[in-house]
Amino acid sequence: MDIDFSQYEPFKPVVYAVKCPKCGTLDYPAPMICKNCGERRDPSGAIFSAWEKVPLDGKCKLLGWTKLYALPEGIEKKYLLFGVVEFENGLRAIGRLLVEEPKTGMELVSTAGLVREIPGEDVAGFIFDIAG
Amino acid sequence: MRKAAIVGIGHTVFGNLSDYDLVDVMSFASTNALDDAGIRENRKIIDQVLVANMGGGIINHQTGIASSLVSRIDLEPAMAELVENGPASGASAVKLGYSLIASGMADVVMVTGGELMRAVTGWVATDFVATLLHPEAEYNYGITLPGFGGIFTRMYMERYGLTEEELSLVAVKDHENGSKNPWAHVETICTIEGICNSPDAKVVNNMVADPLRMYHMCPVSDGAATVILCALDSPKMKYFKEKEPILLNGIGSATDTHCLHHRKDPLELTAVRLSAERAYKMAGLKPEDISFAELHDAFIILELAISEEVGFFKRGKAREAIVKGITRINGSLPINTSGGLKAKGHPLGATGVSQIYELVKQLRGEAEKGRQVKNPKHGLSVNFGGFGNNVVTTICSKE
Ligand SMILES: [Zn+2]
Repeated sequence: MDIDFSQYEPFKPVVYAVKCPKCGTLDYPAPMICKNCGERRDPSGAIFSAWEKVPLDGKCKLLGWTKLYALPEGIEKKYLLFGVVEFENGLRAIGRLLVEEPKTGMELVSTAGLVREIPGEDVAGFIFDIAG
Repeated sequence: MRKAAIVGIGHTVFGNLSDYDLVDVMSFASTNALDDAGIRENRKIIDQVLVANMGGGIINHQTGIASSLVSRIDLEPAMAELVENGPASGASAVKLGYSLIASGMADVVMVTGGELMRAVTGWVATDFVATLLHPEAEYNYGITLPGFGGIFTRMYMERYGLTEEELSLVAVKDHENGSKNPWAHVETICTIEGICNSPDAKVVNNMVADPLRMYHMCPVSDGAATVILCALDSPKMKYFKEKEPILLNGIGSATDTHCLHHRKDPLELTAVRLSAERAYKMAGLKPEDISFAELHDAFIILELAISEEVGFFKRGKAREAIVKGITRINGSLPINTSGGLKAKGHPLGATGVSQIYELVKQLRGEAEKGRQVKNPKHGLSVNFGGFGNNVVTTICSKE
């Protein structure tokens, strides 16, 4: 009998961009068609070749931010900070911001972390902080 | 292409209607429009009903809403469908209603938009609206629409030097207009002193999504609005003798990336610009021909940004317009004469229809004292879905 140990595995957060196998274009979140060459993505890998998953993290620049008090049902915090960043490879993303007094244009480092706990699922996402 | 006129309009008050049923609220606006059009007796001449609504299934636990509305106001066997296009559902439904007329599938179309959001807590309503965001790259983080409003506002302020006080002038103007609109959710006026400069301002006008404060965004509202369209070449036009028909002159829509971070310049609202270009082209008009406008100011920064994208002002110059009073009711280009989403309220599915209701009201010369634009010829509305990823522009004209 197979026992499912998955629930005992530690949560290892990582956020991936994907790479088009035909032209090498990176995108996040994973599209179903390459914006550059039109190659299709097949999540099952059964019909078209799988797209390489590339961890998206590291140095990034803060393009815009807010400190948000109007949070949705399920998040019991007074406020959270959010930022839009650009990574060194040109990809952009939205994520949680840990800097309490951010400045547009500041250099940050992105790591993947737990951003939301939905019953039965830990959701990984970008967490932006000051380097070092 | 066939032409269509708006021959009847109806509205409910916007505000807290949570004691009522969603379809009853829609029915009230619809029957209001039947009376305005003078066809309560002859209501069966309506070929098609389109309902605009975003949250009936999620927050009101009701589906099949279009069929329900038809039956509640005795319009069977009219054709009926629901249109869901986020906060732009209303103008989308009017656009599709027009398409049915243009194609010859219908002669008379009733479009009713409605939403009942206050049946749930603000916390739940905020989450429900956030479901239109990208599930993985946006929603999961807990960011909500006001969050995008905050990011956008800061970017605009930093690029164009807009101050909080200048931005707040939009709220002052909208409240002033809304205070004269009997359907408006917010009936009170506000002042710069009260919301920016007084010792109490930071308490009264609390922070929602820095730098966006409470007076910089719309309330959560319930309500409904209706417009009735008829093909100008249809023999059924003979039923609409009581009110001056207003031409549905131009209508266009466009989409943009789902994720805000995919936009090269997040301050460029491409879907607004393209939808407006399409509407101008269909109407054969230019931005300078427009007499007044209703722009989707769910966050008041959007009134400024949209007014630039539709060609009223150059990028970054809407600030001068609000400071100089150009967009006030007696200015040369009044904007949000109804009070806008800021003061009139924003019951999602109702909003786009309500904006077109206001265009008709102004063009007929029926707006209440103190908020009637002088001799308007062409009115333009922008209904903004998502955070600008699906936008509908509509132009109505006096014939
Ligand atoms: Zn490719």
